[in-house]
Amino acid sequence: MKLFVTGATGYIGDRLARAALAKGHEVVAACRRRPELPLTWIPYELTSPAEIPIPRGVDAVVHLAAITNLEAMDPDTELEAARRLLAAARHVGARFLFVSSQTAREDAPTAYGRCKWIIEQEVLAAGGLVLRPGQVYGGPERALFGMLMDSVRRMPVIPAFLPAPRVQPVHVDDLAAALLSAAGTREIISTVLCIGAIEPVSFTYFLRCIAAGRLRRFRPAVPVPAVLIPIARVLAPRYAAIAQLKSLFALPPMRTEADLKRLGIVLRSLQSGMTRSGDTRRRELIREGRVFLVYVLKMRPSRAVLRRYVRAVESLRDGRALPLPGSVLHMPLGMLLLDTGATRSAPRGEEFFWRLHAAVAISEASVQGAARFLAVGEATGTLSAAWRMMRAGSQELVARVLRCGMTPVLKVRWRNHGLVP
Amino acid sequence: MKADFDIIVVGSGPAGVSVAFPLLEAGYKVLMVDGGREAGLAPPAQEFLDWRAGDPEQWTWMVGRDYYALRNADALSPKLRVPTQAYVFEGFTSANPMTAQDFTALGSLARGGLSRAWGCGVARYSAAELAAFPFGEMELVPSYAAVAQRMGISGAADDDLKEYFGLDHWAEPPAPLDPLHRRLLERYIRHGATVNGAGVRLGRSRVAVLTKGRGGRQSCDLSGNCLWGCNRRALYSATEDLELLKVIPHFQHHPGFLVEAVGREGDLTWVVSGDGLSWRRYTSRRLVLAAGALASTRLALNALAFTRTVPLQSSPTAAFMLWLPALLGRQREPTFGLGQLAFSLDLPGGVSGYGSLFNPTGIPFAEFVGYLPFRRRYGIDLLRALMSSCLVGNLFLPGHLTEAALSVDAEGVLQVRGHYRDEVADLMRVAEQGLRRAFRKLGAVMLPGSFTLGRPGSDIHYACSLPMRSSPTRGETNAYGELAGLPGVHVVDGASLSALHEKPHTLTIMANADRIGRRLAEEKS
Repeated sequence: MKLFVTGATGYIGDRLARAALAKGHEVVAACRRRPELPLTWIPYELTSPAEIPIPRGVDAVVHLAAITNLEAMDPDTELEAARRLLAAARHVGARFLFVSSQTAREDAPTAYGRCKWIIEQEVLAAGGLVLRPGQVYGGPERALFGMLMDSVRRMPVIPAFLPAPRVQPVHVDDLAAALLSAAGTREIISTVLCIGAIEPVSFTYFLRCIAAGRLRRFRPAVPVPAVLIPIARVLAPRYAAIAQLKSLFALPPMRTEADLKRLGIVLRSLQSGMTRSGDTRRRELIREGRVFLVYVLKMRPSRAVLRRYVRAVESLRDGRALPLPGSVLHMPLGMLLLDTGATRSAPRGEEFFWRLHAAVAISEASVQGAARFLAVGEATGTLSAAWRMMRAGSQELVARVLRCGMTPVLKVRWRNHGLVP
Repeated sequence: MKADFDIIVVGSGPAGVSVAFPLLEAGYKVLMVDGGREAGLAPPAQEFLDWRAGDPEQWTWMVGRDYYALRNADALSPKLRVPTQAYVFEGFTSANPMTAQDFTALGSLARGGLSRAWGCGVARYSAAELAAFPFGEMELVPSYAAVAQRMGISGAADDDLKEYFGLDHWAEPPAPLDPLHRRLLERYIRHGATVNGAGVRLGRSRVAVLTKGRGGRQSCDLSGNCLWGCNRRALYSATEDLELLKVIPHFQHHPGFLVEAVGREGDLTWVVSGDGLSWRRYTSRRLVLAAGALASTRLALNALAFTRTVPLQSSPTAAFMLWLPALLGRQREPTFGLGQLAFSLDLPGGVSGYGSLFNPTGIPFAEFVGYLPFRRRYGIDLLRALMSSCLVGNLFLPGHLTEAALSVDAEGVLQVRGHYRDEVADLMRVAEQGLRRAFRKLGAVMLPGSFTLGRPGSDIHYACSLPMRSSPTRGETNAYGELAGLPGVHVVDGASLSALHEKPHTLTIMANADRIGRRLAEEKS
């Protein structure tokens, strides 16, 4: 897919460009400064009346560029720019995606929200797609998220507004994935897609997650009646970011579940997304890898072997850890209850065996593996071999009996893990 | 119009190089084109057990940096999961447009073709086995001799398969057997009569492996890396001959020239290659197709605009594991990784089977542990104790037992369909019982449940799609591989064999190619 992205150096645009390139798509970036990425750059100014050269072969145009300085924003300029882009996209037969805002409404209290709404209407009329993101967070410390991080860092306390506005967070990389999915589909046209957490969370909680997860600092929450915000804005302009959220208070929640499903996007949890790495997936895979490898190797795997397991699952499978039961995660011998033919018919059974096979193959191909599999450097002899075979046989028998006896218990206790048929 | 070359040979595998030598000797100007793929990863230099014990980078050979070994989980042969051999099979079905239904369609775009990843088995077809061919056995003997001597084969032994293989006079003595095979052979020599009575004959494998160095190629040192690639060049591959050819003037090699189509124009033949944007064409007075049965048949059927199906032969295969209890707990040691002992087996209906036995030291446990009725943890414990006294065996049946067919559709895409004939299931059952009983008498137990039938086409011995006949019709070739309906185009690879037997057939393909090359050479003078 060839993407034309305006605002490709912005907070969202940069993550979108990186995600697209990582998936092997071609990116044409239309922005003021040349991005430091392997893409094609076209100088573009939102305010400039010049014609926009969208190259032939572009499949989708993603319009992220907007004037970020809210005071300097001029709705007419924004509308003009969007119109010109729409026409240019139509000229080359590309799909159009407009990234709008949760605040977009015909009767929005801010000029920003009203402007976005007008552009949305033009885009929808032309058959394009509109994406309304919720509270975007994660990734580099930029834009509104960056300002919130900075505010929380500086303030000794977190204001717990009463009543607390509710937000629907979405990690910037999940938003980028949603944009890519929407750009790649032909079936959805003239629709507004809402991308944000299905269940809204309180803004206070959101700020606490920033403090605890991203900043790793403790900040007590202090109740602040919402009416005091305009005063705060005057008294403490440093905390302007918080004040900007005046618009949050008037926001009705978005219904995002159906739209997320349509795009095939599963949002990461706020806890996971607020970590420094943005993602606990790798940590979970490492934990899973350790369990499989200890089970197979009967010893702790070397870092290199563990790393290879994680990379194998990331590159060949979906990169997500299996929902292994907690008892198995803590005690690898618990695998004996899962490594049985019956598991194959369970919902995640095939995937379990793929991972187990990968663990065997990867652990074998190592110096540790040679000791374990080939008994390199070990004493041999008919008696010890016969003894080992008998021991393996009897251990197998014990495991079978155990599993047989525990089947009814496992069917109940482990029913949500998809590994017991 | 003047031709670019006298003869163009499509394919640098065993057939292609074998036809080239006589042509060059006659003074023809020859161009050889091929898919040109090359190995991206050099094979290990140390002995197998040494690099397993000490090399932290061993995963690049066993699993692959891109986790190649985890991608082709459902193929029967471990060969198809070896990262160092990935280049041999990669890209074949996309570069040679084909779709296969219920049939494993594989081929090679590599320089040297499938011989870059073969088991090195060699044999000669007997006069009876050549009955279906439109020429006498004597016509083939000089070619067998020339090719065998050029390749370098070993395994000559005074045993029960001497006549069966029929090429000991051109072969060096074999590499030493490992203790497992040695014991089997000793028991056979003592108790052979009863086993023969059951229709089983055992002997040394005859293989295209050097036991005496020559030129830049060193002899086999039993380092056991055969599956991963031999860095001593003891195993024959067509690239060895390709290097010899490149020194000869009048020979040009254009690697990476993947032939999309061939044809005739006036009294010239042509080949084209292209990537959809630009095309390259060469013309010649004669054309030789040696691209492998599937690819050559696709080119031929398209050139003939032949829309009917042509039959294809392929050998049904099976694999099994033997355990020698007397050698339980034996120390693992470096050993030859390809066939050490071979057997022939008489089956009902006048059918015979052929197979080889291998030492599995060089094959990863991951290949076997999934088949055991054990949890992986204990399965590994079991194999660790058991494997050093185990052997792996394979079995091939004659090619006519697979009913397969090839055809090309309107877009020139090859359609491959195939299935085993009904009698194969029974024959395999009888074979399993026969082998189990025979090996039992020799002190080896066939592990229960280990006898596994391969999927149709998994032998990769496809042949006889454009068979040589004395009076060929369209879709067949004459005694010199010339396509009926397309004069000047000769097929010299597996496609033109008139029959596919259970014996290793590569040497016969090469000898036939050499014979055809000599005939074309005669025509020049």
